[in-house]
Amino acid sequence: MAWQSKQREIGTAGWGWAIFAGIIAFIYFFPVLWIILTAFKTNADILAVPPKFFFTPTLENFVSVFSRSYIKGQAAVDTGFDRFFFNSIFIAGTSVLLALVIGTLAAYGFSRYPLPGNDTYLFIILTTRMLPPIIVIIPIFIMFRIAGLSGTYPGIILLYTAFNLPFTIWMMKSFFDELSPDVEDAARLDGSSEKRLFFKVCFPQIIAGLAATAVFGLILTWNEFIFALLLTGVETRTVPVAMAQTIGGDIGVRWGLLAAIETLFLIPVIIVVFVLQKHLLRGVTFGTIKR
Amino acid sequence: MSILSVTGAEKRYGSINALAGTSFEVEAGEFYCLLGPSAAGKTTTLRAIAGLETLDAGRVVFDGQDMTGQPVQGRDMAMVFQTFALYPHLTARQNLEYPLREAGHDAGEIRQRVGEIGELLRIAHTLDRKPSTMSGGEQQRLAIGRALIRRPKLLLLDEPLTNLDAKLRHDTRAEFKRLHRELGMTIVFATPDQLEALTMGERIAVINEGWIVQIGTPRELYAAPADRFVGTLVGAPTMNLLPAAGSDGKVALPFGEIGNGPWSKTLADFPAETELLFGFRPHDIRLAGPEAGPALRVDAKVHLTEPLGDITVLDLEAGDAVFKMVLPEEEAVQYRVGDRVAVEINPDKTLLFARDTGAAIR
Repeated sequence: MAWQSKQREIGTAGWGWAIFAGIIAFIYFFPVLWIILTAFKTNADILAVPPKFFFTPTLENFVSVFSRSYIKGQAAVDTGFDRFFFNSIFIAGTSVLLALVIGTLAAYGFSRYPLPGNDTYLFIILTTRMLPPIIVIIPIFIMFRIAGLSGTYPGIILLYTAFNLPFTIWMMKSFFDELSPDVEDAARLDGSSEKRLFFKVCFPQIIAGLAATAVFGLILTWNEFIFALLLTGVETRTVPVAMAQTIGGDIGVRWGLLAAIETLFLIPVIIVVFVLQKHLLRGVTFGTIKR
Repeated sequence: MSILSVTGAEKRYGSINALAGTSFEVEAGEFYCLLGPSAAGKTTTLRAIAGLETLDAGRVVFDGQDMTGQPVQGRDMAMVFQTFALYPHLTARQNLEYPLREAGHDAGEIRQRVGEIGELLRIAHTLDRKPSTMSGGEQQRLAIGRALIRRPKLLLLDEPLTNLDAKLRHDTRAEFKRLHRELGMTIVFATPDQLEALTMGERIAVINEGWIVQIGTPRELYAAPADRFVGTLVGAPTMNLLPAAGSDGKVALPFGEIGNGPWSKTLADFPAETELLFGFRPHDIRLAGPEAGPALRVDAKVHLTEPLGDITVLDLEAGDAVFKMVLPEEEAVQYRVGDRVAVEINPDKTLLFARDTGAAIR
């Protein structure tokens, strides 16, 4: 067939295209590469003109992230980035996990036991994500003040959970919709209770979807800035906020320190994507292949 | 003794009447077929028996117990779905184990039964594979195995052959008969294919638009259909139906008049010029012999030939009516399109239906 002869095997695209793709990829990743390089440079190397690609690497910036304190006003303040990293991981992890648990159960309900006006409920849930955060931030800020949630872990976790829920419900519902209801009926006939058939039959089938949803949620939450800026306190501050605050200060912008923080900030995202990549691909392509 | 009885089952989906008062009884150990076109209510009937659908009215009694409104779980019956509905995340072995684990059997018992079923259905070599990597036939046998492994009293089969290719279907029909004979289980088999119903069913319930139209053995349905629907559904090629008018116990056809049928007596009481449909099967037409007999002789013209290998279907044209006839291949080779052929229709095997209601007259 004519169309078959056009198909090539992987690896036979030719060197020209491979180099071209490599150049494009390099341009895309150059900022990331530059940040990583900067993180290993001394201050002199960072500010050198023309920029240096070859230099003696140093770990002093990374040491500074965790141990150097800086002077603010009269007092020495600990940079405390270990704390901020813990906060980011704890807050993002907990809220995504909560959103997955609640969202998956809700999605199963929406998919399998539709209420009258099911689509309306789903639409309303989605509308909570249509407003830009900056619009809802003031009422939320006031509500948190009154409820005493400002600056607390439960407060920010609750907010991020609510923030992740619509997306989780919509994603998970589409995965449940894809499952054959016959399979569930078969499990009922095989003697499974509704609870067991959810955990033993439905749940194992949507793990790929769960992984994909988790990755999107984690990245979104990990990078979130505005809510964190206004609703976390000194104790509960996350890395993006702390990073922004590092830019200011009395001794100018410390590029090396900032680059080191950013490099460290990238690592968890890369790990998560790497670990879940197999599921991620299946998750985002779920339902696109006709059975 | 009947093991399953469905009485006055009714089910509506919105404005659609899926079941409109379906009633039938299945004897213990019987191979019972539900035959009907798609959307006739076959699947709904099976699902209602299994408890997967709640009936709006009517009762399902199984093994002496009223099952109406009882939960699905714990019924001593199993079902094979048209889509097979295998657990995609489990291997074939785990699929077979699932119902036994849910029933709380011990590991030794489970291993033994999985081994037995693997042998019985010839899927022992695929047990460690996921369903998605198995062929259609293997998936289907696995689905049957998962249903049989609990040794249920009743097996519900919802068009299990529809998703298979033609060759496999033929083999599997024989397989089902073998399993039924070996296991002595009661089977309710839903199918849209009259051939499957005739070859496998001990009794057949013909279902249409949520109604049971007729219940009978394959022979009864073939020889004495209750109405025009059953008449044309059962038998291949489809029965010939010609518009006709009846008077004095005789039927006027486009190519002559025929009497002395099994319907003659009844027809005699009908008013003259009653509008009828005259039915005769392509298999019941013979080439005319030299001397005239009691049969109606028709001089026809060959309109079309369809060779099917061992037999040939001839489309014949006579007095602006077209009907089909089946001939063995060696007799049919002599006829070309346009040839004249004299045939006989034996009145004994002809059928008569009222044109308005479709009901059989006999």
